[in-house]
Order: sequence, then structure tokens, then C-alpha cells
Amino acid sequence: MSANFLYTIEVILNGLMAGVMYSLVALGFVLIFKASGIFNYAQGVMALFAAMTLVGIQQGQVPFAHLINAAFGTKIHHFGWTVPALMAILLTLVVMILFAILVERIVLKHLVNQEPIILFMATIGLAYFMEGMGDLMWGSELKTLDIGLPSGGSLWLEEATVGWGAEGSGFYGLFIDKLDIVATGVALALVISLTLFSQYTKTGRALRAVADDHQAALSVGISLRKIWVIVWAIAGFVAMVAGIMWGAKSGVQFSLSLIALKALPVLILGGFTSIPGAIIGGLIIGVGEKLFEFSIGPMIGGATENWFAYVLALVFLIFRPQGLFGDKIIERV
Amino acid sequence: MTTTQSNSAQVSKSVISGRASAAIQPGEELLRVENVSLAFGGVKALTDISFDIKKGEVRAIIGPNGAGKSSMLNVINGFYHPQEGEVWFCGKKRRSLKPHQIAHQGIARTFQNIALFKGMSTLDNIMTGRFTHMRTNLLMQAIWRGAAEREEIENRQVAEEIIDFLEIQAIRKTPVGRLPYGLQKRVELGRALAAQPDLLLLDEPMAGMNIEEKEDMSRFILDVNDEFGTTIALIEHDMGVVMDISDRVVVLDYGKKIGDGTPTEVRSNQAVVDAYLGVAHD
Amino acid sequence: MDTESKALDTFPKYLLHSAEIYAQRPAMRHKNYGVWQSWSWADLLDEIRCYSIGLQQLGVQPGSRVALVGGNRPRLYWTFAAVQALGAVPVPVYSESVAEEMQYVLEHAEASFAMCEDQEQVDKLLSMADDLPNLKHIVYDEERGLRDYDHNRLHNFSNVQQQGRDVLAADPEAAQRWLDGIAAGRGEELCVMLYTSGTTGRPKGVMLSYDNVLVSSINGNKFDNLDHTEEVLAYLPLAWVGDHIFSYGQFLTAGYCVCCPESAETIDVDRREIAPTYFFAPPRVFENLLTSIMVRMDDASSLKRKMFAYFMDVAQRSGETLLNGGKVGLADRLLYGLGNLLVYGPLRNRLGMTRLKVGYTAGEAIGPEIFSFYRSLGMNLKQLYGQTEASVYVTAQPDGEIYPDTVGTPSIDVELSIDDNGEVLYRSPGVFMGYYKNEEATRSTKTEDGWVRTGDAGFIDGNGHLRIIDRAKDVGKLNDGSMFPPKYIENKLKFFPNIKEAVAFGDGRDHSAVFINIDLVSVGNWAERNNIAYASYQELANHPDVYKTIQEHVDQVNRDLSKEELMAGAQIRRFLVLHKELDADDGELTRTQKVRRSFIAERYEPLIDALYSDRTEQYIKTEVVFEDGRRGELAATVKIGDMQIYDAAADQPQPLQASA
Repeated sequence: MSANFLYTIEVILNGLMAGVMYSLVALGFVLIFKASGIFNYAQGVMALFAAMTLVGIQQGQVPFAHLINAAFGTKIHHFGWTVPALMAILLTLVVMILFAILVERIVLKHLVNQEPIILFMATIGLAYFMEGMGDLMWGSELKTLDIGLPSGGSLWLEEATVGWGAEGSGFYGLFIDKLDIVATGVALALVISLTLFSQYTKTGRALRAVADDHQAALSVGISLRKIWVIVWAIAGFVAMVAGIMWGAKSGVQFSLSLIALKALPVLILGGFTSIPGAIIGGLIIGVGEKLFEFSIGPMIGGATENWFAYVLALVFLIFRPQGLFGDKIIERV
Repeated sequence: MTTTQSNSAQVSKSVISGRASAAIQPGEELLRVENVSLAFGGVKALTDISFDIKKGEVRAIIGPNGAGKSSMLNVINGFYHPQEGEVWFCGKKRRSLKPHQIAHQGIARTFQNIALFKGMSTLDNIMTGRFTHMRTNLLMQAIWRGAAEREEIENRQVAEEIIDFLEIQAIRKTPVGRLPYGLQKRVELGRALAAQPDLLLLDEPMAGMNIEEKEDMSRFILDVNDEFGTTIALIEHDMGVVMDISDRVVVLDYGKKIGDGTPTEVRSNQAVVDAYLGVAHD
Repeated sequence: MDTESKALDTFPKYLLHSAEIYAQRPAMRHKNYGVWQSWSWADLLDEIRCYSIGLQQLGVQPGSRVALVGGNRPRLYWTFAAVQALGAVPVPVYSESVAEEMQYVLEHAEASFAMCEDQEQVDKLLSMADDLPNLKHIVYDEERGLRDYDHNRLHNFSNVQQQGRDVLAADPEAAQRWLDGIAAGRGEELCVMLYTSGTTGRPKGVMLSYDNVLVSSINGNKFDNLDHTEEVLAYLPLAWVGDHIFSYGQFLTAGYCVCCPESAETIDVDRREIAPTYFFAPPRVFENLLTSIMVRMDDASSLKRKMFAYFMDVAQRSGETLLNGGKVGLADRLLYGLGNLLVYGPLRNRLGMTRLKVGYTAGEAIGPEIFSFYRSLGMNLKQLYGQTEASVYVTAQPDGEIYPDTVGTPSIDVELSIDDNGEVLYRSPGVFMGYYKNEEATRSTKTEDGWVRTGDAGFIDGNGHLRIIDRAKDVGKLNDGSMFPPKYIENKLKFFPNIKEAVAFGDGRDHSAVFINIDLVSVGNWAERNNIAYASYQELANHPDVYKTIQEHVDQVNRDLSKEELMAGAQIRRFLVLHKELDADDGELTRTQKVRRSFIAERYEPLIDALYSDRTEQYIKTEVVFEDGRRGELAATVKIGDMQIYDAAADQPQPLQASA
């Protein structure tokens, strides 16, 4: 096989892996959008916030240390202990659930039956608030997130595939980051368990019911507020998973919240209401931008990854506004 | 195997009838509306209305369009809180309720313009109707412990009995949005039944149906009442069918009660006849 | 088997036999509350024994007639054997018959007991109870709605069975007495009475002996190598001889498993879940399945539609040849394999035909295109020609000798002959004992030496296969002397998914003309896609675009007819789309859904007059009967379409179906 062909395969594989990350963030968007019709601008920040919290808890940081120190003139930053990764994840989850409850109590409850644009604005506010809150609690410096996930290239895969290239082609085997493989596995497990949960449990059915018809859901005794808390908690959980994966890959920093913007084209491709759409959309964007960068990029000076996704989304908006899997707009007579 | 087969109808009878009203004997008062008046910003919807619903009966509330039937229904189920008057249900005076709590008190309802979960299957819709009877919490469901699974199976059995009862086996897995109108109405009845209500409220169950569908629906309403002893209150503006299936009828006109009694009594009530013929009110 | 069958000369004996040798193998399944429940042969024997003894307690005795009224429920099938074990005679009745028809059968058969499926059937029987002095007791299966009825003569199945169980527990001799009763049964005794729905006159009670039904069932098993591993879906009316042989006779003699569907509406899903190995259906079922496939394909994405069209072409080219064991080029063979993977396999799965060993279509002629469609998908669908009077089998197509226009060679032990006027006669061990209380009809149908007149015109072709043209009395002549075969024309029209039913007229008239019923599913779907609003069948039927589509179909039929020398004269000159669906409740169709041409001609006389005038529309008022027996009136102005007639192309002989 020619080296070029093999490189293309490698690019596609790496694109798929990157796509998984986009999918994870997009998934959080879809969950909330389906259940409450809110486009949650803060989803990306939630991922950042979750990652920061995780790192903070793990390393035994004192929350609001700067604030406390400034107010009381103390110089404490650390409790002086570290928390095991699994424990830290569980605690972070608790924080995200608390956060969901607070969002419902403080924001959503007061905005019932408001225009979507108002709800959207509220989530923008929420995003900035959380960003500031995160910095205030844990500090704004770049952090490394390490919960013991494997990382670095997969030697096994390289060795297994090195023979594919022609003699002397300089092909060293396919390179894939182990972390990406883990991320894929986690994303897959997440999607499967979310699907099972929504199909075969009472709460899952209630989630779908609320997504379908509020009035009917109320009439069978489902509390919308409770469901919103659950949805935001699940979205928080998904954000945490995304935050962990991205954080482990490229460090916990502000730019992490920008992946939320990449999720937008993913949603336009996949449709705002479709979970499979979010997954496939993420993969298409991931592969698309990597392939584009690899093949066309060099001709036009590179850095196409910054804008490719948005252009693709634009094309989709023109030809298939409901996305690949979104609810089809059918007019019945 | 043979034992599970026989007497299934008896099993469902105990399963599907309500529980909150267990202490009340058939024929005794289940719900009482006392001097209720309701107004929306000065516009009077209901004026000084009183009547009762007895356990085990089919009670119809009829009246021409705009008579206040829907307001009455919403007062009965606790969605509206009347400015004056009281509602007594199962021997207790009704306090103010949040919308989702209505279902938990043992009142299930259907809607005039069908409020089903259109994207979900018939079975899922009916299972969702079991919501108030499912006790396991999120954590148990999330990690799929035995209790949640058992509960799922038990409730599926009830759902299947309802599916069998309403003869909708063929559409068990069909998304209800794809069903014709008459069947959607039937599924909605099934979802309401799944809640095992003490009181079943039907909001114009036959609106928009053709004669055959109306007859089907009448049969199911009577069967539900017969088989499970469910108390049914229904509102309709079309007198015809309702008179055949109701035990007692309340007639409203312009928010006032103008008649109350058996179908025969109501039919011979001059005020009712006038209201339906559109005689001018002086 | 042959030596055994001497001892095994009744169905109850076969039940005992099967319970012994197949003991724990599944005998019956029934889907209830969404779950398939099953009974082994041993379970089955126990259920039937208790039930039978319970019936005995009620007073069923040798010679009693027990009517069976209801659908395909296990307990109704058990009733056959439970009743026969007591030496009594089961009389299955079409459960959808209108009250008067049912009353006639019950009265004529002198039924003293009845087993009903549910309240609906019980109500029907109770409503005519005053006119049925013989009817003593009614047993019912489904309790719903019946709890408050007077239970003097009404009995819950479970109670009857429990009573039998109690007797067995209390009296150690009871079981043996029951067995002795079975042992006393003889093959020549009356086994069952099946009332033929008959296109004219009152239904006739066909008396079949155990020998008749047993031999036919065993021969049927032998012909297609059916054994105890088969699974079938019981979904046809119990009173139809086809179902009786297939879900009862062959079931007991082969020892296979019969599955009862959840309800009449769930059959498609149930069949998919069971995937029967042996399937029996009138052409209508295959027509409806094909229509539903076509409707689904119309809704599918364009990629799927193209794939379907392409591979159906491939299948048409080579599918049937492959099924018949013929030779096909490598390319087509590969393409067919690919098609099997992508299209035929999933389609067979959808239809519930994945495990199909052999399928039969019988009861009426099937459109050759429909027949080929299924065969080309790789399903071994065959045609069978049979009659109640023959215990089904007269002729059947042997494997590998399938021609769409013949009904096969004589079945095992059957002799055929054609009399001077073209009518087909047969003689076989399955030939009925006679019509119950109708000597005259028996004499005119069955000759002294055992030959039976079928009433069908046909001939035996060069391959030794029987070809049926039409009912002997129906094949008519137009005034210009050309042949008029109504069913032939109707079947051609019914091939189009949009046409559900057609009724052709022309005998003794100047030209052919037809009434058409559109298929509400197919046309309704088309209307939805094209944003055509309609509220009822009547409105849709009268829509100009629908008329246009139907006109195109009729035109295609005329083109086809013009290519056949004998039929060119029978081209359709005028047609109309009927304002209501033909309905068995109105007497327009028989219970087996065959059109009653003369009745329809009488009922819609103004429409026929209009067809043979130059009017372009006609007003008509029709009385209709609703399902609950109420009557109403339907009025409409029906449009009439004129057709183009093509010249007979005599130089285009029909190519004979190439033998594989």
C-alpha cells in the first residue's frame, strides 16, 4: 500500500478520534435542547468548569483561595492532601448535580414559558458567570489533568501496521494516541448507557415524555422542574466526561470552553434533537477538518481547522436545515 | 401456565381500579363541588355551581360551546382554583395543587385535542401513564438494580392488560404520532387508565370522530366503567351519544348550572332544551 | 405410518398418540399480553381432557352438535378434539357472519352447544336464542363484559374445564372411561361439518368423516414432507376447510406446532416473530402483503427505492429459475446472491417467511405477477386447487413444476376427469359423505360412483397440469359471440396495488364493463404524499386524479387483453369506481371475500344501466349495514370512465411459460 494512502487512513482515524470529543460536547447540548428547548450556550463552560473542579479537588486545592487570602490576608492554597482520581470524579459529579439544582432554582424556574431567545441569553449569562466562578474558585492558570488515563502513541498499533507500508516508504505504522482510543470507548459506553436508560427506565421515559409534550407530561404526574434538574445533571455529567477527556489531552485552560463553539456546527449537521445525529455530526466534522487540513490545507496556507467546520455547517444550513437526523419538517394536511 | 392464563380479567379489575377511594363504597359521593365560582379577570366562567360525582358512575357535564365545561373540568382536577366555593375529593377538602401533583391524587384525564407523546410508542405512552405508580429512584434505575427491573416488569404487565383491554395490540410498538385520530384517542384513554385513577376525566372524548369511532369510544367508556368500576366524568357538547352512556348529567350554560339529573330528566328539562335550541336569554 | 393409521382412525386417537411420542415438544402457542405462551403436547392433552370431561358434564354426548364461533384461539381449537373425543360433532361457524346467516347454520346443524370466543359472539347467539330451541349451553373463552350475564346456560371456559378436572380428581375411573370413549370412535364416522359459504343460496353443510379428513391430511403431509418440526400460524377462519386441514388435521397427524396470533390485527407482526415453515393463504393475503410492501417502498428513500427496483429486476430474471433448480448465468447468480443479502432476505424477514419450507395459495386464482413476485424472492409458494367437498386437496403443484397459470397435478390418491362442457370432476378418499339434510344437492354434486362436480371450467394441459378458467357457469359470451371470462379480467385489474376489488360485467351484453374498488391503504398513501385531502373512502374514490390513475390501469389491462387472441373481444369499454367498499356485511362479498357478482349486479342496477348507456355519471342510493347490524343509507353520484379499445393482435401468440 502506498504511504500516502496509509497516511490518509491515519488522518481519518485521528479525525474520528477528534470527532468523538466534539460529539461528547454536542451530546450535552442535545440532551438539554430536547428536554427543555433551551440552547445551552454554557455547555462548553460546564465542561471547563467540571475539569477545573476535578483538578482542584484532586490536588486538594482550597476553593476561593485567592478570595479568602485577599480578604483575610492568609496564604493558604492547598489543604495539603490529594484525593484519589475516582473519588475526585465522584465529588465533581456531586458538584455538577448541585450546580444543576441551582440552575433550576435560580434561573429556569423564573423563566418558564419565556421565549427561546431569552432562555438562550440566560445561558450566555450563565456561561460567563461560570467562567468567572471557575477562575475564582480554582485560579485561572493552566492546569494539567491526570487521572491515570493512558496517553501517548499506541505502540502496539504502530507495530501491527508498520509492515503495511511499501519497503523504504518511511512509513512507521499508524499513529493513534491511546487517550483518543480511551475517549472513544468512554463515549461509546456513555451513548449506549444513555440510550438504555432513556428506553427502559421510568425516569428515561419521563425525560422523553417531557421532551415530547410538556402538558401531557404534567398530566401523568411528571414534575417538569425535577426533570430539568435531572437533565441538567446528566448534561453536567456528560460535560464532565468531555472536560476530563479534553483536559487530559490538552490541559485545562480557557480555550477548552471554546470547543463548545465547535459543537455548534456539529449540531447543525446532526440536528439539534438527535442523539445519533450529535455523534455522527461530531465524527463528520472531526474527519472532515482533519482530511481537509491534510489534503487542501497545504495549498492555502494551513490552519483550515479553525474555520472548516463553520463553512461545512453553512453549506448544510442551505441544503438541509433540519440536519442529518433532526426532526423532519412535515406538513400534514 | 394454565393458571396464569385464566381469570386475567379479574386480575386486572383489582389492578386497574383506583386506591385512594378504596374506603368509599360504590354509589357514595366521590367528589363534591360546592358553590364554585370562577372568574378570569372579571369575566365570569362559572357561577355558583354545585354538584357531586358518585363512585362508580358515569357523570356527564354537557352544555353548548362556551358554557364553561372546560373550566369546570379544570376545577375538578385542581388545575384551576375557584375564587369561591370548595371542592371535596375522597372526603377531603382540596388544597391548592401544582399541575404535576394532580395526577398523584388519583385523577387522570384525557384532553380535547389529544396530548400524547407523539414520538413515543403506544406502549411507552401507556407505561408513562404508570409514572405515579413507580417508586424506584433515579439511582436505582441508573445502575439497574433488581428492584427497578422488577418494577418495570410489573408495570409492563399492567400496561399489557390495558393494551389487551383496548384492543390495541397491533399498534403496541407504533409511534403514536403515526396513528389515525381515533386510535390516538384510544391510546390516550389507555394512558389515563394506566394511572389506575379513582376518577377519570374525559375532555370531549368523541370530538372530531365519525359515527363508528364514536360508537367504539362509547363502548370502551362503558367497558372501563363496567370492568374496573372506574368513576368517569366526561364533558361533551354533543348531547346524543352522551345521553346513552351516562348515569347522570349536569348541564351548564353561560357558566351556570341549568339542569342536573338522569338523561331522561335532563332531556325533558325546558331550560336545557332552550339552551340547546339557542333560545335568547333575558 | 400406513400400518399405524389403521389403528389411528380418529383425531382424538391422534391426540393421544402425539401426546405420547412428542410429549414435551411444543404443540401450540398463543400470544397473550405481548408474550408467546406455549403448550407442550402433554399439556395439550391435559387441557383437552379436562375440558372434554367438563363438556360431558354439561351434557355433550355422542352425536351432539357443537358450534364453534370465534377466531383462532387455542381454546377453540381444543374444542374440536374435546368434542370429538365424546363422539360429538364440531360445527365451526364463520364468526363474522351476520346474525341471520349464523342463525341459519346453527338451526340447520341442530347445534345444542356452542363455544364462543367473547362477548360479541355470545351476544349474537343470545340475540337469536329464541329461534334456536336446540341450543342448550354456551361456553365462552374471554370473560370480559360477560360477568354480569345470566349464567344459567352460559359458562366460562375455565369453569367448565375446572369441573372436568374435579371429576377426574374425584373419580379414578373417569380418565379410563374417557379413553374408552375415544377408542370406540371409528374412521367412517362423521368428523366435522363445514358450512360452505356458497356464492348463491343458503350455505350447505358438508359432512366429512374422519377417514376423509385424516387421509387428506396425511397425504398433504406426505406430498410436502411435513413433519413435527413445522411451525404454522393459525389465522384463517376456523370454518374454512383450508384452516381445518392446516391448523387441525395436519397439526394432529404431523404433530407440528400451531401458533395463534394475538389478535386479527397483529398477524403481520406475529408472523414475523414466528416465521412459520408452512403457510397457507388465499390470494388476497398475498395481494395485501404485496400492497403493503409497495406502499413502504413508495415511502422509502430514493436510494432504497432504486435498489429495490434494480434487484427486483434481477429476481424476476433469475429468481424463479433458481428456485426451480434451473441454470442461471454466473453474473446473474452473483447478483441474485447480492440481492438476497440486500433486498430479498430482509424482505422475507419482514414478511415472516425466513424459514418458509412451503407456502400455498388456494381458494381463488392468484394473479400470475403476484405469484411470480413471491417465488422470485426465493419463497417456495405453490398453488393448490381444492374444495371443502374434497377435504381440500384436488390438485397441487409439485416442487419444481410450478407454472403460474396452472393449479398443478392431481394430489395423491385423486383422480381427475373433464366432462363434455369443460367442467372438472374428481374422485378421492377425501370426497365428502354428503350435504347435511340436503339429499338433492348431494345428488347433483356427487355421482353414484363417487365423482364430484367442481363447478369450475378447466382443462388439463400438455404437462398434465390442471388449468382453471373460471366458474363453469360464469364464463359467458358477449353479444358479438366473443368469450367473456369475468374473473380473468378482474384478476388482471386486481394486480394493481391501487385496485382492491373489481367486478366485471358482460355476459349477454354488448361489451365488458367493470366496477372498481380502490385500495384505501395504497391510494390513501398516495393521496397523503400528494397533499390530497379526503375524509372518506367515498370522497377519495371520486377524486379526479384517482379516476385518472385507475383509467391508466384499466388501459393497461385492455392492452394486455388485446394481445390474447381469445380475450381481445373482452376489453373493457367503460368503468366506474364504486362509491363504497364492497363488504361481506352487505352481502356483496362472501365470507371468504369472493365477489357475489349477481347480487352486486342487482344491488347496483342503476350503475350497470349507466355503464351500458352513454351517461357520464349516475346518482345512486345504497342501503348499508354497519358492523353492529344497524342500517343506513349512502348516496353518491358516480362518474363513469370511457376506455380506448385496441385491435386484436392475433399474430402475437402468448408464449407458454418456459419450463425450467
